[in-house]
This record gives sequence, structure tokens and C-alpha cells, in this order.
Amino acid sequence: MEELAKDILVRASQGDMQAFEEVYKRTSGFVYNVAYRIVNNREDAMEVAQEVFMTVHDKLKEFRFESSFNTWLYRITANRAINYAKKFSRIKTMPFEESFGDAAVPSDAEKTIEQEEQKHLVEKLLGELNEDQRACVVLREIQGLSYEEIAQALNININTVRSRLKRSREKLMSLKKSIYEKL
Amino acid sequence: MRNCEQFRELILTEYIDGQCDAKTAEMVEVHLMDCNDCRHIFSELKSQAILPLRTVVPQAVPTELWMRIKEGIEEKSLKRNPFEEIAGHLKGWMVLPRLVPVLASFLVMFLAGSATLNTLQLQQVNTQEQGEYLASLFTPSGTSSDNESGTPIEQYFL
Repeated sequence: MEELAKDILVRASQGDMQAFEEVYKRTSGFVYNVAYRIVNNREDAMEVAQEVFMTVHDKLKEFRFESSFNTWLYRITANRAINYAKKFSRIKTMPFEESFGDAAVPSDAEKTIEQEEQKHLVEKLLGELNEDQRACVVLREIQGLSYEEIAQALNININTVRSRLKRSREKLMSLKKSIYEKL
Repeated sequence: MRNCEQFRELILTEYIDGQCDAKTAEMVEVHLMDCNDCRHIFSELKSQAILPLRTVVPQAVPTELWMRIKEGIEEKSLKRNPFEEIAGHLKGWMVLPRLVPVLASFLVMFLAGSATLNTLQLQQVNTQEQGEYLASLFTPSGTSSDNESGTPIEQYFL
């Protein structure tokens, strides 16, 4: 995600709603998608994203530009989403038959089926990980953050990032193998 | 010389993520050419755990999200009363509550100190009074104040 210009952030911190809307436009894609992949449903992701932007709006005047705004935003987003997921435990891991049992859908919708299957597969894979592993995997695989950025966002050290990714990948490999064996 | 276990650790983390230095990456590549098992794991890792997630299509941000945020901010600013505003400005002064335990302990120490001092002074007065009393017991009777108030008994019988 591209770093925002300091003057936009300063104006937003002084209560300029147009500047704040600019901050929202540039960052909402990241915030919403990270939240969506961690909490795994649209309504909860909206709630998390709303909380994140309300926090940014409230706390931006205290931001001293000593660290990157993106790192700060990654941290708020990941924390809010992980806490939300842990609190409500709404991750629904659909049974295999429910996720992949659409074989009788008409053939002209093959592309849609493929996309839907891909969507269910990703949800299924992420749903098998715990909240902390899921956050690591989402920030790395879907958002493309470096180990260092993930460590800063989750307030953990790089070795923990490495071990969480390793365990998650081992788990995903064994899980996907079992999914394809069932197919 | 690294063994397969150590190479797998790298394959599952830094190597697949492009976070290895050039020398380590080259060592892993040489090992992958030689080792069928590690090559198989690398291939499975890519197809089963990495690609499905890296090729995810980003979700479009719902259009109503901005409206909800805007409404939330407006609602919050309406709810905020003037006292909260003042409290917000005086946040810098809010160190006082944090000092309460320290001030309380100073107060307790002061009270305990003054109580001890009072007890010591009282003990000193008592000791002085007891000394005076004992001294009066050993004082000769001629100098006693009783002689001044009445006729000595020997003189009465004489």
C-alpha cells in the first residue's frame, strides 16, 4: 500500500473531513480486505473496518509521524480484526460437502462455479487456521507484506512470524490434500 | 552442510517468500535439483498453500461503509459534551491520578512519623514527671511544703 502524503494526514487530523475521506479512499481496500479475510464474512468485516476508521479519526491528532502511517494502520486493522474474531468466534468452517457440493449447477455458469469454488476453498483454508495464524497468512499471502512489516503490524518478532507461517503452511498443505482426495 | 530438514524449513518460509539472501537462495536451488522429496514438498507448497491465497480476487469495499463511518463520526461528535472536550484538552494534566498512590504513601509515612514523634515526646514527659516524683520522696521533711502549712506535731506536744 502506497504511503499517504503527510499534508493529507495533517489536514485529516485537524478535522478536515475531505482529507479524511481521501485517507479512507486510499486505505479502505486494504482495511476491508484484511478484516474480511480474518473475520470471514461481509457484515463483520464492515463492522471491523468501521471501528478501524473511527479509531484512526479519533487518534490521528496524536500521531507524531515517528513511524509510518501504514504500519500504524496495519496494526490497528490486524488488532481489531483478530480481537473481533476471537471475541465472536464467528468463523464458519463449512462442511466439505456444503462447500464443494455444487456439481449440478448448469454448465453455462462454469466460470462462476470456478470462482465460487475458489472463494469457498480460500474461506475453508483460512477457517482452519487460528486467528493469529490467519492474520499472518492474510498479511503475507493476500496483502504481500514483508516479514518485518507483519512483525510490526502484529507486534511480534520476526521469528514468530516465520514459525506461524511455517505451521500455517504445513496445515494448509495437509488440509488441501484431504480436500482434493475427497473430490 | 545442511540436511533436508533445514532446507525444508527454509523452503516453507524465507525461500518461498523471497526473503533469503542470494547465497542461501542459491544453496536451496542446488538442493532442490538434487533432492526429489524436497522438490515434491516445494511443488505441493506452491500449488496447495500459496497459489490459492495469492490469486485471491480482492473484495470490493461496500459502498455503504463510508456512509456508516461518516454517520458514526457525526454521532460521536454530537454525543461528546463540553466537559469531555475540556477533559480532552486537559489530558496533559491527567498525570495527577497516576500520582495518587505515591501521594497516599507519602501521607501515610508522614502520619506514621508524626504519631511516633508524639509518642516519644509523651514518654519523655512521663519520665520527667516520674523522676520529679521520686526525687520528692527522698527530699528531707524539713524542706517539705507540709511544714509550711501547719504546726509541727513535736511542737504541739511540747
